[in-house]
Amino acid sequence: VSVSDSAVASRVPAAKAARTAPRRRPAPYLFVLPAVLLFTAFKLYPIGRSFVLSLHRTVDGAEVFAGAANYRRLLGDPLFWTALGNSATILAVQVPLMLALATGLAVALNSRLLRGRGLFRLGFFLPMVTGLVAYGIVFSVLLNQRYGLVNWLLESIGGPEIPWLTDPLWARVSLGLALTWHYTGYNAMILLARLQTVPAELYDAAAVDGAGAWRRFRHVTLPGLRPALLLTLVLSTIGTLQIFDEPYVLTGGGPDNATLTIGMYLYQNAFKYFDFGYASAIAYVLAVLIALLGLLQFRVLGDSS
Amino acid sequence: MDAITRRRLLQLGGAALGGAGALALTGCSGSGAGTSTGGAGDPAKASITVWSWQGPAAQLKALIPEFNKAYPGIQVTVQDIGNPAIWDKITTGLAAGGSGLADVLHIGVDYLPGYVEKFPNGLADLRPLGAEKYRDAFAQGMWQTVAPKGRVNALPWEANSAGFYYRADLFEQAGVDAEGLQTWDETIEAGRKVKEKTGKYLLGIDKPASQPDAANFFQMLLQLQGAFYFNHEGEITLDSPEALTAMTLIKRMNDAGLVSDLSGGWSALESSIKSGTAAVLPWPTWFGGIIEGLVPEEAGKWKVRLPPAVRRGGATTATVNSTHLAVAGSSKHQAAAWSFVEFALTRPASQVAIYRGKGIAPALIAAYDDPVFHEPSAFFGGQKKGEIFLQALKTPSPAFNYSADYARALKAVTDAQTKVLLKGADPAAVLREAADLLGSQTGRKVVR
Repeated sequence: VSVSDSAVASRVPAAKAARTAPRRRPAPYLFVLPAVLLFTAFKLYPIGRSFVLSLHRTVDGAEVFAGAANYRRLLGDPLFWTALGNSATILAVQVPLMLALATGLAVALNSRLLRGRGLFRLGFFLPMVTGLVAYGIVFSVLLNQRYGLVNWLLESIGGPEIPWLTDPLWARVSLGLALTWHYTGYNAMILLARLQTVPAELYDAAAVDGAGAWRRFRHVTLPGLRPALLLTLVLSTIGTLQIFDEPYVLTGGGPDNATLTIGMYLYQNAFKYFDFGYASAIAYVLAVLIALLGLLQFRVLGDSS
Repeated sequence: MDAITRRRLLQLGGAALGGAGALALTGCSGSGAGTSTGGAGDPAKASITVWSWQGPAAQLKALIPEFNKAYPGIQVTVQDIGNPAIWDKITTGLAAGGSGLADVLHIGVDYLPGYVEKFPNGLADLRPLGAEKYRDAFAQGMWQTVAPKGRVNALPWEANSAGFYYRADLFEQAGVDAEGLQTWDETIEAGRKVKEKTGKYLLGIDKPASQPDAANFFQMLLQLQGAFYFNHEGEITLDSPEALTAMTLIKRMNDAGLVSDLSGGWSALESSIKSGTAAVLPWPTWFGGIIEGLVPEEAGKWKVRLPPAVRRGGATTATVNSTHLAVAGSSKHQAAAWSFVEFALTRPASQVAIYRGKGIAPALIAAYDDPVFHEPSAFFGGQKKGEIFLQALKTPSPAFNYSADYARALKAVTDAQTKVLLKGADPAAVLREAADLLGSQTGRKVVR
């Protein structure tokens, strides 16, 4: 199949190009110009500029070329490794849990047995619409150790007073809870959209062959969801590595750097310590990490065709 | 590799670059070096903006009618940016070469050296505007803070001395003479008795360091010993014997169960004061007005004194921090901005009005001639609060080198303190670790 496809593909555009090339119509370029200009000004320029910055140090207000010094410093910076470890923990624990939850949710929301599906779908998607800072503040109020609603409820049923934001371990749990609440519905919607394209005949055929609910899920639903799962996994990976708002509002990266993420550390270096060169180096290392992880995920989970 | 995989790769690359782009926003700044686009402007006619926060902003606003009698052509707008939001806002403004900055900026001692060092010309030199004639007008040590290298970066506004506000009724119940406490060792013993008799904590600390100022108390104990995070050469002195003494005192208090947890920032502090959690608030001058505003019904129960010494016979005074007004280097109305700064900070009547309003203690020595600083305070059991702190302000106190890396030092210190308070870590070990970390982050030498 692929041989004949590519043969056709190479023949047709070549013929077209021969016909249109001499005319050089400016209109298409004019149409894309605004987008290209905006992209250049607000994406390409900052990306390039921050790379240049990452090779500089600020000494007495002047930028001094420092070569790879910022990158070398990064390797020996215990706080950077702490931040990386924290991000990796979230990636390894929170993301799989959230995606499993989202898959379950998508299947439930797709079920014809469920009444008021629209309402439920809306309900689970709504957190995504909430502003990051707003929900961070709401969570920090709810989780306040002494005056928060969560501990009040726990205590009213005889539970313990949990130091949600003030104990290193619980602070991580709180961060995971907030992230899960915010993003599960979003991922569930992507999975749901994909689920609706899985042909019902496949389920019918599986049922005729005597497959139970679990086997139908395992052998029909999951393979059908595969591209969407890959998409949500890659999006969640990128999102997780860039997490900033939640720890910034909830914990400030504390206690004792237990919830310090790479995004938080980058922010601190740029805006608390005015170390823009070092912050840019962190941004670049982060971008490379994200690219590598994404590549790995495509390799492992992507279509083998 | 077929076409599909290649397209995917491109998408992936785009996503990754997009990620870098979002984060690279931090870098779209340049260093702001040498971008002084401002000028003196018309000294008699201008419209200027002032950035401050909460209480001080309200007090500056209240000065405007009086200011306009002297300068009818200058229109002043005071904006309450909020604290700590103002620091990010000033930082981004300076990093953008001054665009979007107000003309007059209210800046704390913790940020001033960093701004000056990282953004030369970000703040206007006030010498050409006539600042130097006020060299001796302010409390001792202040001029060194605002003009460390000749250039005058700002004028001092408030000067805060270390204080010790306490619930006299609780100490009385416990049978302890709070006024007679000479050292912090004695204070810990007193704290045990207070806890035993009244169930109240001695004091509160933001144990998980939910706010950057969680190490206020530690810093005060350090300053009472004349020590700080940096020496005057800018070298790191974070694990000095003085720092170890201070951290060990805090550990002993915590291990004895005398320290309540103030995590959650300002609102947690307020509710703790309202519910009377602790017997002592070891806060500086400006905090008296806050207590009075929060629990007016407790008038007469509160008293104030200077803090006990760390070592017997040691100092009980320290100027723990100050705030200042600076003029933005990018301001096109620097002369008019300076007129407002001068009016607010060097005119005793302005400072007296501000003190009456919010209890903000002036660095301007001449202001203290006003009777308001010598009146007995009904809230503090008839004590002359103003005189207590004036005495502290007049006692020679070393100027502390906050340096451009104060924010990093503070982070290292609060992390160390959190380890001690939450995990029972060894003070010497965490301070050494913090000093080494700070050294590698800043390239400064650690002196031991």
